[in-house]
Amino acid sequence: MLLEVRDLRVEFTTREGVAKAVNGVSYEVAEGETLAVLGESGSGKSVTAQAIMGILDVPPGRITGGEILFQGRDLLRLKEEERRGIRGAEMAMIFQDALSSLNPVLTVGDQLGEMFVVHRGMSKKDARARAVELMDRVRIPAAAQRVRDYPHQFSGGMRQRIMIAMALALRPALIIADEPTTALDVTVQAQVMDLLAELQREYRMGLILITHDLGVVADVADRIAVMYAGRIVETAPVHDLYKAPAHPYTRGLLDSIPRLDHKGRELYAIKGLPPSLTAVPPGCPFHPRCPMAQDVCRTDVPPLYAVEPGGAAGLATGEGRGSACHFWRDCLEGTGSR
Amino acid sequence: MSDNLTAPEQKHAEATPAAERRTLLEVKGLTMHFPIYGGFPFKRKVGAVQAVDNVDLTVAEGEALGVVGESGCGKSTTGRLITRLMEPTAGTITYRGQDITHASRRQLSPIRSEIQMIFQDPYSSLNPRQTVGTIIKSPMEVNGIEPAGGRTKRVKELLELVGLNPEHYNRFPHEFSGGQRQRIGVARALALNPKLIVADEPVSALDVSIQAQVVNLLKKVQDELGIAFVFIAHDLAIVRHFSQRVAVMYLGKVVEVGDRDDIYNRPRHPYTHALLSAVPEVEIEDAEPRERIRLYGDVPSPVNPPSGCRFRTRCWKAQDKCATEEPPLVQISGNRDGHLTACHFPEEPTTQARGEDVVLDPALQALEAEHAESAESAVSDKD
Repeated sequence: MLLEVRDLRVEFTTREGVAKAVNGVSYEVAEGETLAVLGESGSGKSVTAQAIMGILDVPPGRITGGEILFQGRDLLRLKEEERRGIRGAEMAMIFQDALSSLNPVLTVGDQLGEMFVVHRGMSKKDARARAVELMDRVRIPAAAQRVRDYPHQFSGGMRQRIMIAMALALRPALIIADEPTTALDVTVQAQVMDLLAELQREYRMGLILITHDLGVVADVADRIAVMYAGRIVETAPVHDLYKAPAHPYTRGLLDSIPRLDHKGRELYAIKGLPPSLTAVPPGCPFHPRCPMAQDVCRTDVPPLYAVEPGGAAGLATGEGRGSACHFWRDCLEGTGSR
Repeated sequence: MSDNLTAPEQKHAEATPAAERRTLLEVKGLTMHFPIYGGFPFKRKVGAVQAVDNVDLTVAEGEALGVVGESGCGKSTTGRLITRLMEPTAGTITYRGQDITHASRRQLSPIRSEIQMIFQDPYSSLNPRQTVGTIIKSPMEVNGIEPAGGRTKRVKELLELVGLNPEHYNRFPHEFSGGQRQRIGVARALALNPKLIVADEPVSALDVSIQAQVVNLLKKVQDELGIAFVFIAHDLAIVRHFSQRVAVMYLGKVVEVGDRDDIYNRPRHPYTHALLSAVPEVEIEDAEPRERIRLYGDVPSPVNPPSGCRFRTRCWKAQDKCATEEPPLVQISGNRDGHLTACHFPEEPTTQARGEDVVLDPALQALEAEHAESAESAVSDKD
């Protein structure tokens, strides 16, 4: 297994108290696999990624438990220098906003080349040549000329391609893409997503795709983990999840999308708001918004149940499905009230 | 919160055929060019951003017109021109038979209360130093409207209508979440009993689970109060859900306009077709295979748009004629009434999957050709 996150816990100290942003998250990514992490703002999806990359702001954040095994090594036990060697070279990240992630006063060639100078000890001239190659690889027209341009001279889609080139520069084994296409227009979004998926397939990288867009997930991901209030509430192969969600939150999200091929009357809407992370409700964090909630949901935190078929064995190998709902059976069969 | 939303009644708006409804707003040849100044030592006009160019639109009473397009296509500028937040460079805006294109502040004042706007960002569109009550009340004060029972009572009614607790009258915007703030924005827009609301990306700043709540609220408002909407959004699925008619914009032009079902099921303009096929969609079991059209490159700059048809630089059907002759927005053969398309070489009226994908991006084409084999083997491994 390329990456195993085990029972990760991250807290933030805020004025309102301690916010448990990540509360016991476990997931795995195999070589060449795409895991989509889906959640709304505040669900902990980005914080988990930051902990994996080692770019979490400490303080106010702190990792209070769990382990992150990357190619067998526990990243949380490594020294900062060792992590720096891994970051960028063995795992890389693509951010949502390419304009603010790129340095505005350096040419894109300098920024791409820096990867090779710092990590590979190349000369500036060789690094520049590699930068052109990379820009060509992500199909930026006239790469040899444009390598001297500054980030603001590129369009949004082109900037995101440069971000992808930068992430791919050292052929990392794992890429984390945090909302890579959210800031782009639909027609450009499709181009960038396709490019990312193709390159990932070619290099057999593991990809963690963090998004709130269920449509993007359906197109590219193998597996999906749905997060809510710092926990994973459901994990499954994408097609299983879309066909029959086993958690009422997932079902609510799917039902609330106006579909192009559905003529909607009233949209289903999940009632209420996501909880504040400093005051997560006791029991299942989703119960105040859940149409199926019963007394047990208000008191007992549901573990991640193994969903049939596949069962516990399936869940352990990463093939099966899990749902953190006491009534996952009802939800799966669609018998629970909506 | 959504419990407060009752299922909409049979929509009277849809029950009446479009032709029988009276035109509320008519826009003809609307043009907005933002000048660019430059040069040294004396700045002078060196060019213009052609944000909106010769746009014709009509909105009937009680109708929801969706305006879709990518960023920079001029949809927001169009919305601002309609509400007269800006004065257009050319063209006419006729509201209920009255030309308001260049109307003065005084001439506009009786109309201002009838055309309201809902903004995208619920954080910057509410004054953080005013209470919710003050925010919703101020349009009534500005326009000197004294509703029966007093303004405070009206504000409380409005809060209840949009699904907020009327007791929260004295709270400040920061005490509310994004979705609740957007409800406050809706209440403010409703305060003057408008006939037309221009909603500019009203849900795109909200979380997925909250978007549906606000869309339902707007739909309820539209159905029950019979308010006409210009619903501006880039999310095609939400526009389809909300609008009876849809206009597709590209680079300052309306390229296609028509009834919702005509646009979504029988798009004739290649851009509409490409836009629809680019939407990542939630996979549905047994869905028909969807065709993919991948456009090459980005939207050209509106400072120097392509000659002729503005879409031709990204269009797979473009021919010489497209570069020289601008296609008019007309009803082309095979289209139903009110379905207008601006294209010399329109698509077949279908969204059925064609044999092959249209992939216009040479980058992707090369990649796909290179890796078609490995992809196939990977797929067969999985099976």
